[in-house]
Amino acid sequence: MSELVTQHNKYVTFKSGNEYFALKIEYVNEIIVFQEITEIPESEDYIKGLINLRGKIIPVIDVRVRFKQPELAYNDRTCIIVINVKDMVVGLIVEKVAEVVEITEDNILDSPSLGNVDKNQNKYVYAIGKVGENVKLLLDPEKLIKDEDWSVLEQMTEEITEEGE
Amino acid sequence: MAEEFNTQGMLDIYLFENRQLLEKLQEIVLEQKDEECFDEESINEIFRTMHTIKGSSGVMMFDEITKLSHKLEDVFYYLRESKPQNVPHMELVEYVLKVSDFINAEMDKIQDGEAADGVAGELVDDIDRFLTSIKNGDGEKEKDIKENVHEEPQQFYIAPMATSASRFFKIYVTFNPDVPLANVHAYKIIYSMKEIAEDLLHYPEDIISDESSADEILENGFKILLQAQCSEQDLRGIIQEGYDIKKVEIYECNAKEFQQGFDSFGTEIRIDLESSVEEIEAKADVAEAAKLKEEAAKKEIAPGDFVIESKEPGKGKKLAKDKSKKQEKAAFISVDVQKMDMLMDLIGELVISESVVLQNSDLKVPGLKLDNFNKAAVQMTKISTDLQNVIMSMRMMPLTNTFQKMNRIVFDVSRKLGKDIEFEMSGEYTEVDKNIIEHISDPLMHLVRNAVDHGIETEEERIAQGKTEKGKVTLWAKTESGKVWIGVQDNGKGLDREKILAKARKQGLLDSAKEESDYTDKEVYQFITLPGFSTNEKVTEYSGRGVGMDVVVSNLQSIGGSLEIESTPGQGSLMLLKIPLTLAIIDGIIMGVGKSYFVLETGAVKEFVSIRENRLIQQPNGREFVMIRGEGYPVLRIGEWYKLHDYKADVEEGMLVLVEAEKKTICLFVDRLIGNQEIVVKPIPDYIKKVKGLTGCTQLGDGSIALILDVAGLVE
Repeated sequence: MSELVTQHNKYVTFKSGNEYFALKIEYVNEIIVFQEITEIPESEDYIKGLINLRGKIIPVIDVRVRFKQPELAYNDRTCIIVINVKDMVVGLIVEKVAEVVEITEDNILDSPSLGNVDKNQNKYVYAIGKVGENVKLLLDPEKLIKDEDWSVLEQMTEEITEEGE
Repeated sequence: MAEEFNTQGMLDIYLFENRQLLEKLQEIVLEQKDEECFDEESINEIFRTMHTIKGSSGVMMFDEITKLSHKLEDVFYYLRESKPQNVPHMELVEYVLKVSDFINAEMDKIQDGEAADGVAGELVDDIDRFLTSIKNGDGEKEKDIKENVHEEPQQFYIAPMATSASRFFKIYVTFNPDVPLANVHAYKIIYSMKEIAEDLLHYPEDIISDESSADEILENGFKILLQAQCSEQDLRGIIQEGYDIKKVEIYECNAKEFQQGFDSFGTEIRIDLESSVEEIEAKADVAEAAKLKEEAAKKEIAPGDFVIESKEPGKGKKLAKDKSKKQEKAAFISVDVQKMDMLMDLIGELVISESVVLQNSDLKVPGLKLDNFNKAAVQMTKISTDLQNVIMSMRMMPLTNTFQKMNRIVFDVSRKLGKDIEFEMSGEYTEVDKNIIEHISDPLMHLVRNAVDHGIETEEERIAQGKTEKGKVTLWAKTESGKVWIGVQDNGKGLDREKILAKARKQGLLDSAKEESDYTDKEVYQFITLPGFSTNEKVTEYSGRGVGMDVVVSNLQSIGGSLEIESTPGQGSLMLLKIPLTLAIIDGIIMGVGKSYFVLETGAVKEFVSIRENRLIQQPNGREFVMIRGEGYPVLRIGEWYKLHDYKADVEEGMLVLVEAEKKTICLFVDRLIGNQEIVVKPIPDYIKKVKGLTGCTQLGDGSIALILDVAGLVE
C-alpha cells in the first residue's frame, strides 16, 4: 500500500532528441547502464536485439529509432530503462535518463492534437505534464513497445499456429 | 462440498498425499504379488494407507472413496488381527489394485475440477463378499475377532508350543538405582534375548512407551520369563552385570512353573502388598494368558497381537519371503518449479559475475601479485560449478515410478493373456530430467506390452520348444556416454526376420535393387518401426494393430532419443532406448559470424570442412553448391541469410559446417568455430517475432548471448 502511495504521480523522465519524455514509475523495473546487445536477424529496425539481464534474456528497443529520430552512437550516458508492461519485460535504450519527478493530476494536460510535437511521437504520447517551467511528454509504454498493427499481427500469428496444429 | 470455503489448497495437499500413498501401496502389492501372502509389515502398511486415505477423504467429503477405503481397511484389519490362512492371495492383490485404480480415477476427476462421481458400490460389495469368504474359510475362530472399532488393540499373549529341548528360566534383574531411563536398558536386554527366545515374557510389560515403568523397574527389579534352548551360561553372557545392572539372578524352572507366570517368582520377589492396580491387573492378565495358552495349544493359531513374535517355524502363517533390505527411503519436499527456475537463473548470474570479477581489467596491472587472489578464485570457481551441478540434479527424477507402472502393466497383461511372466527391473534409480520422464512413459508402455504379448510365447509353445524357464521381461536402465539407456528385454521367441521381410515385400518397402539377403538384421528390424507394420496375425486387446512401434519411435525422436532393436530367434529380443538426460541442456557447438554467436546442436553436425574457392559452384539463380567427395550440398551463408554485419565473404577464410536434419544435408557457412559447450536453452522473448531457423537463445560463459539454430528449420 505504502509503495503505491509513494509511487503515485511519480514519473521517470528521459531525454530523446530535444524533448523530455516521462514514463509512469510503476512500469519501470530498473535502469541499467548500456550493455552489449546481440542482434536478432529479421526483426524491426527499432528492435536492437537481446541483452542478458542477469541471466534473463530480454529484448531491447531504441527509442530514438522508434521516434524516427536520427540514430545516435551509444556512449556512456546511454541507459537502458527496463520496463514491464503486462508481464512483458522490455529494455528501452535512451540517450540520457533525467530525473524522477512528481506530476500532479492538475498539471497534466491533454495531448494537443496540433502543435510542434512530431507526428511520429504523437501517437505514443497520451498527455503533457507541466513541471515548473518545463513540459514533459507522457508516454504510453504499451503503444511504445507494441507495433501499430500489433493486434493484426497477433491475430495472424494465432491463425498460423491454429493452422499449424 | 462446502463451496463457501476455499478448499483448493487443502485439495491439492489431499491429492498429492494420496497419490504418493497409492504409489507406495502399489509398490508394496506388486513386490509381493508372487508370494503366498503379504508379510506382516505390508499388511500393516496397507492397513495404515487405507486408514489415512479414509480419514482424509472423509474430511474432504468424498464419500465413495471413504466407503471403499474403509472396506479395504476392514479386510486388512482382519488379516492383521487374525492372520487367517489360505487367503486367495491373487484375488486379494487384484482387489487392492482395483481399489487403488478407483481412487486414482476419482482423484483424476477431482484434479480436473469435475465431480468425483464414480460409484464404488459394486467393488465394495465384492470386497465384502471376499472378506466374508476368508472369514468363513478361517473357521470358527471368527467369533474371536472384534469388530473393527478404533480402540487400542488389546494385547493377548499366546505362547507358542514348547519343544522338548526348550528350557525355562526365570530371570530377575536389579538395576543400579541411579541408572537413568532404566526402561530403555531393560528393553536392551529383551532385545538381545529376542534372537534365542522361543518365548519371552517380561514385567513391567510396557517398557517402551510408558516412561513410568523406569521407576517401577528400579524399585522392584525387572522380571523376565524366558523359554529358550540355551544354558544359564549363555544367558549370563547376554545379560552381564555392569555399570547399569547391579545383579542378575537366573533360575531354571519347569514348564508348569513357567506357565504360572510371574506369580511363581516366589520368595525371591517381594511383590509389594500395596501393589498398584495395574500390577494386579497385570497378574490377572498373565493368568488369563495362561488360560488362553492352553486353548492355543488345541487350536493352531489364535488371535491377538504377539508381544514378541514367535520364532517357531511352521506355527504362524508362512510369511512372504523377507524382502532384501529396503533401500533407505529418501525424504522429499515439494518445491515450486518457478522457484527452481529462479534459483537456476540466479546461479547463471553468479557464474557471469564471477567471470566479470576474475577477468576484471583492474587485475591486469603489470607487476600485481595475485597469488592469494588466484587461490581464492579457484576455490570459488569450484563452488559455483558444484552449485550448478546441484541445481541441475534437482531437476532430475529417478525412473522408479515409471518402472513401477510397467510392473503393473506386465501384471495386468500377463494375467489377462494367461501367461506366467516374471518381471525384473534394475537401475530404476537412474535419474532423468522430469520433462523426459513424461515423454518416455508411453513408449515404454508400448514396448513392455509388446514384449508380454508378442515376445513371450504361450506356455504350450515354450514347452514345445523345450524352454524350461519362466517367461521373463526385464526392464533396466543405466547412464552411458551422456545418455540414458533403457532396455526392455524378454526371453521369448524373438523377431522373425523372414516374416518381417515377407511383410515388407508385400507392402513394397523393399528396395528392388537390393537382394533380400543383403539386408542386415538391424535394417530388417527397423521395418517394424514403420507406420502400419505389424507381423502379428492376431489383433489382441493389447497389440497387433500396427500402431505403436511408429508412435514409439516418433515419441522418442521428439526428445532426441532413438530406438535400437536386437533380437536372437528363439531367445528373445531387446528394445534399447537411448535418450538424452535432459532437454534443458544440450551439447552445442558455438560458432561466430561477424559479431554474433550461433549454436548448433552437436548431434546435428556431421563434419566441418574447409574448402577451396573452386569447389564452390554458383548456379545462375544465385544459389551455391559445394562438391564434397563427389556429392553436392547446398550452401547457406549465415551472415548473408540473416543480413548480419562484418561477416566473411571469402569461402577460404571461413568454415563450412555440414548439418543433417530429416535425412537432408546442407552446408552452413560461418566465420569461425568457437568451441563446444553445454548450453542451457532459453526461449527467445515473445516480444520478438519468430525468426525462421532460430529455436532459442542461450548465454555463453562470458555473458554474451548466442542464438540457437534450428537445423530442421534451416533445411526447409
